[in-house]
Formats: sequence, C-alpha cells, structure tokens
Amino acid sequence: MSSRVAALRDLLQQKYPEAEVSPAGVLPTGVKELDEANGGLAQGVVTELVGPTSAGTLFTEIMLGVLVRQGCFGALVEAGNSFHPGDADANALQRLLWVRCPSVMLAVKAADLLLRDGNLRVLLLDLQTAPERELRRVPASTWHRFQRLVETSGMALVILNSQPAIEAARVRIAIRQRWKLECMKRRRRQLLRQLSMQVFERRQFPILADTEQKTA
Amino acid sequence: MYAVLLLPNFRLQAALRFRSVTVGAAFAVTDGENFVSERNETAAAFGVSAGMAATQALARCPRLTLLFRAVETEQVLGQTLLEVADTLSAEIEATGEGCCTVDLRRAAVRDWKSWCEAAGQRLAVLELRARIGVAPNPDLAFIAARRAESFLVVHAPAPFLAQLAISEIDPPPHLLALLRDWGIHTLGQFTALPRGELADRLGPEMDLLWQRAAGQTERLLRLVRPVEMFVEYFEFEHEIETVEPLLFLLRRFLDQLTLRLAAVHRVAARLTLQLPMDNGTKHERVFTVPTPTGDAAVLFRILHTHLEDLKLEAHPTGVRLQIDPVRPEHQQFRLFESPLRDPNRFGETLARLAALVGADNVGVAEVKDTHRPDAFQLNEPRFHQLAESSVKPEENLSIGLPLRRYRPPFAAKVRIQQRHPVEIESSIVHGRIVDVLGPYRASGDWWDKERWAVEEWDVEVEEQGLYRLHREIGGWFLDGCYDNALR
Repeated sequence: MSSRVAALRDLLQQKYPEAEVSPAGVLPTGVKELDEANGGLAQGVVTELVGPTSAGTLFTEIMLGVLVRQGCFGALVEAGNSFHPGDADANALQRLLWVRCPSVMLAVKAADLLLRDGNLRVLLLDLQTAPERELRRVPASTWHRFQRLVETSGMALVILNSQPAIEAARVRIAIRQRWKLECMKRRRRQLLRQLSMQVFERRQFPILADTEQKTA
Repeated sequence: MYAVLLLPNFRLQAALRFRSVTVGAAFAVTDGENFVSERNETAAAFGVSAGMAATQALARCPRLTLLFRAVETEQVLGQTLLEVADTLSAEIEATGEGCCTVDLRRAAVRDWKSWCEAAGQRLAVLELRARIGVAPNPDLAFIAARRAESFLVVHAPAPFLAQLAISEIDPPPHLLALLRDWGIHTLGQFTALPRGELADRLGPEMDLLWQRAAGQTERLLRLVRPVEMFVEYFEFEHEIETVEPLLFLLRRFLDQLTLRLAAVHRVAARLTLQLPMDNGTKHERVFTVPTPTGDAAVLFRILHTHLEDLKLEAHPTGVRLQIDPVRPEHQQFRLFESPLRDPNRFGETLARLAALVGADNVGVAEVKDTHRPDAFQLNEPRFHQLAESSVKPEENLSIGLPLRRYRPPFAAKVRIQQRHPVEIESSIVHGRIVDVLGPYRASGDWWDKERWAVEEWDVEVEEQGLYRLHREIGGWFLDGCYDNALR
C-alpha cells in the first residue's frame, strides 16, 4: 500500500512540480516582536501589514534595514508617490528599486512584473494611500496568483494596507500604535524598539477581524 | 601563399541581403544613373549585362527585378569580410569592393583544400557567398579567386595561366588591342614571347604586363586592421506598419552580429537601434546590456521588450542596429556572494516597468546634496555592479518618524497665535493644532534664480495625527503626514 502511495506522490510531483514548494526561509528584521513571532520577514509568502501611516513608513524603514543587513536587493512599488527618500539611509537606497505608480492597477501590474522576474529578495507593495474603491477593484485571484509566484521565487512580498484586504495573505501584521508629537524628538531606533505589532498566521485571521470589530 | 576572398556580384549580394529571393528570379543592381552595374546569372542568361540601361535590361528580361545599390549594407559586408579575413591572418589587405587579400606565408597550412573549405564555411554562416583563390602571389590569387567555383588552389602558376584569356589580367585597352592584332589571345601565347625584346619595343608597361601574365609579380600588401564596428542595416521597400517584420529582421541581425562577435571573442555591451521614418525623422534608442553577453536570444528580448510597447508617429522605412563590443568578463562567483540571479532579465523587467509607468517613475533614489526639501533624483539601478553581500548597517541616527509626502503639497489655511500655528484647514485635514515643533528654517540658492526659503513645522492636529507644514512666500502648505489613520 505504502509503495502505491509513494508512486502516486511521485506521479503528482512529476505532473505538478510547481505544487511542491519548499519553505523559503525568513529574513531577520531586527524587530523583536516580529522576529520572535515569525523568525522575521517570511520569504515565499504574502504578508499583509495593516496600520496607520506611521506603520507603513516605519515598516519601510525596517525593510531598508533588512536590505542593508542581508546585503540583498528589494523594491518598493507604490500606488502613489509618497515615499520620502530624504528620511532613508543612502546605503539602503542604493539597494532599493522605487516604482511610483499613478493607480492601484498599475502598481499591481508592476508588482506582477517584479515577482515574475524573481531577481529581488523583498518586494513592498504600498497600497496605504490608495483609495479603497480602487483597491476593491483588484480581483482576489490576483493576490492568490502573487502567493503562487512568491512560492516559486522565494521572494518576500509585503503589502502595506490601512485595512485588511488581502485574502491570500499567509501572514498578517497589525500595528495599531499611534504616536504623539513628542516622539519626533526621539531617535528612530528607539521608536522601532517601541513599535508594538501583532503577527497573525493565516488560521488566526478571523480573530484579527473580531479584534477589529471590537476596536471599531 | 596568399589567399583572396572575393564576394562575387558584391553590390547585388548587398542589395539582396536579408531579402527573400525566389530561386531562378532575375535581379540586377542599378547605379545612380540608372545603368545596370551588376546582375545575377538568370538575368545574364536573358542577355542583361553590366553597363546596359535599365530600360534596355527590362526589355530583354521583363521579369527582371531592378534594385538600387545598398551602400550602407555594402559597407557592412566589406567590414564583415575584413573581420573574417582578420581571423585567418594578421596581415590582410582590403584589395577592393568585396575583395580581401590575406598573407598566409607564415601560416603552417598543409591541406589547402580543407583550409579553403573552412574559410568558405565561416563566410557561409554569415550569409556571404564567396570565392577563394590561393596562389603564390597576390595577383595570381586574385585571378584564381575570379576563376574559382567556390575555391581554387594554384600550386603551379605556369600551367594554370597558360590557358587563360589575356583579358584575365586586365591589360590596358591599347596593349590588349595590339596583342590581339598580333594574334595573341592566351597568357601562354603571351609569355612565350621574349620578355626583354617586348620591353625594349613597347616599354616598361608591357614588361609589367608580361610579369603579371607569367605570375611573377610581387607586391607588398597595403595592410589594414578591421575596425570593431558591428552594424547591420536594412532598408524596406515600403514603409512598415506592424512590428513583426521589424522583429524578424532584428532577430536575423542579431544572429549575424553575435556570430561576428564570437569570431573576435567579444560580447555585446550596448545596442543602438535606429529607425529612420518616412517623415524624415529618426527614432533612436540605446540599450545598455546589464551583463554583456553574446547570446542573441537575450539581446533580442531587450529589443523585443522595447518594441512591443513602442508607439511611433510615423512609419519606419529602415532599421539599423549597432552593437558596441567589449571583452567578456570572466568572473568567478564566491560562495556567499552573487549578484542578481539574471541581470539581463532584470534589465528587461526594468524596461517593461519603464514602459508601464514611465521611465521617470522607476529607479534608485539618490538624495541631492542640498538642504532643499524633497530634493532627489531617480537613477538607473546598478544592482548587478553591487555585490550581494552582508554589510553591517551604519548606526541609525535619524530622529522621529519618517514622513509620507504629499506631492505636490496641499495648500492650507493656518491660523497663527503668538507666532505659532494653532488651527489648520486644508482638503486633507482640518482642526485644532494641539502641539507644535518648530519652526525649522532653511534657505538656499540665494545666488541663483532658483532661490528658496522655507519654514517648516511639525504639528499634531487634535484626534487626527501628526503632519508637517511649511510656510513660504506663497503661503502655508501641507507637506505630508507622519501618522494618521488614513481610511
């Protein structure tokens, strides 16, 4: 019996080689909560980060740190034009491809090209400032396709959002922290240390939804 | 020994290059004054000959296709011939149009037949139809090439020359007429005459002719070095309206050019594509190959990516492709260091991204060396030149939250109290300002027309978030936000 099962597995593997996905690993971020929960930025999966503006900008900062620390290359695809390079480290900027898109659909297409290319290790798709109406027009199948693409390329895809919208995400990071003006006097390193985030695996997503409803 | 590589019907070969030719069709090339300068064998069979007026040629052969000279393609063929010759010997001469002489005296060739076949094969893969003549001196090698079917090796000049017509050595017309009057028609008959007496009666000109007829002339080659210029050109008979014929031609160009590059151990570093238009303008685009390569498929993908999204205002009438060569890099990847997995593929992706969102919106940001707010430029990524290696990050000394900019900034109405903003009204945010940091004043370029001066404030708007404002001569503007709840 077991030999027949093994033969069937071999047959399936031959016929659908893309279904055999090995874990792609994680990229340590240096952020305690994220590294403890998930080991870092998961490669080969779609991660959705949900939170206010500061969550997106601080996470971009974290990603730039990953690029420098890991010595790899990444891309930031924005549905908009709001990234402020003046705030970033010059060494990190050298490793970041910045793509500014006037609409969500173009940002999705640009991300699709980069995911198919597979040369970069990290892709940040920033949809935080995109109008919700435009975001809802993106078919859900797009995100599932992205998940398939990152599984094969081993890239880490992080989608920045203000509200949960990506069904296909395997990991969701929620940052609800809000800041007072006093924080502008503190070192960013210190702010990153204070950043409180919740990391959810896919099976925990309903809990996140409940939490949001309660918060609302 | 010397070898002559001769491209028969050189102008016709150039005019027919990359064109589909039906077997048995009659072709002729006309010069600027509409006279036939060269024709193929089918046209010759109908009585069409060089020097004939085009109308007369058409009268003799109604199915004759007349072509204009393709001067630029002739240059390409001449260059290609020199490149091939350069791979055969270090000492080569550009003898004439479609003719090249190679000095092989230092070459240790035992089997001249195999040598000629190999040289012919090299020319054939570059779509050049050539005749090769090998002989003890350059002039004799030229005669041998002219008489050859594909190649001819002359070891013994005397018996080879004896049967040839006197016109084979191109004598001056007055000497040819004189020799014919004497009843001398072959070189054998001519060389049977005593050389000294001929020279005494008819002068040094006849002496030189005798030497050539006897295969005894020795001359120095005018040596040349081929220029490393890899170009292909094609002119369409009619303007083209779709991209397919263009892609088809470019693929053939690249197949040829990469073969030529491989022959001289070079790879392509840059491609220059030019499309002359029917309105007199020219579309030109230069592509830098991220990792120089000699792979025609990779180079073709670069051009294909560009052309599939290209929209032109006029129709192309021709296409010219030039490759800038470099020596191939020999790089050994270290265990923990490797650049991009496939830099050329990444280059294509960048081209696609540029086509999708505009070249101005894709790149690597570089902050300019100024205090002017939001001063940066987008550069072309050079990831493949940066090693993918672990770097210890510098200590992050930045202060505060990163800014999310509004481009362009939104105009705002700000109420001031005791020199501090206390209330804001704009399309993005309006409300009471509960806390402020600032002002942060900056100015610059006062010596220039582009002088600027701003006063920046970080503000906390009650129950809405943290924002940056700036004041300049035109009023107050909302630069961006540090923290807000968005949707």
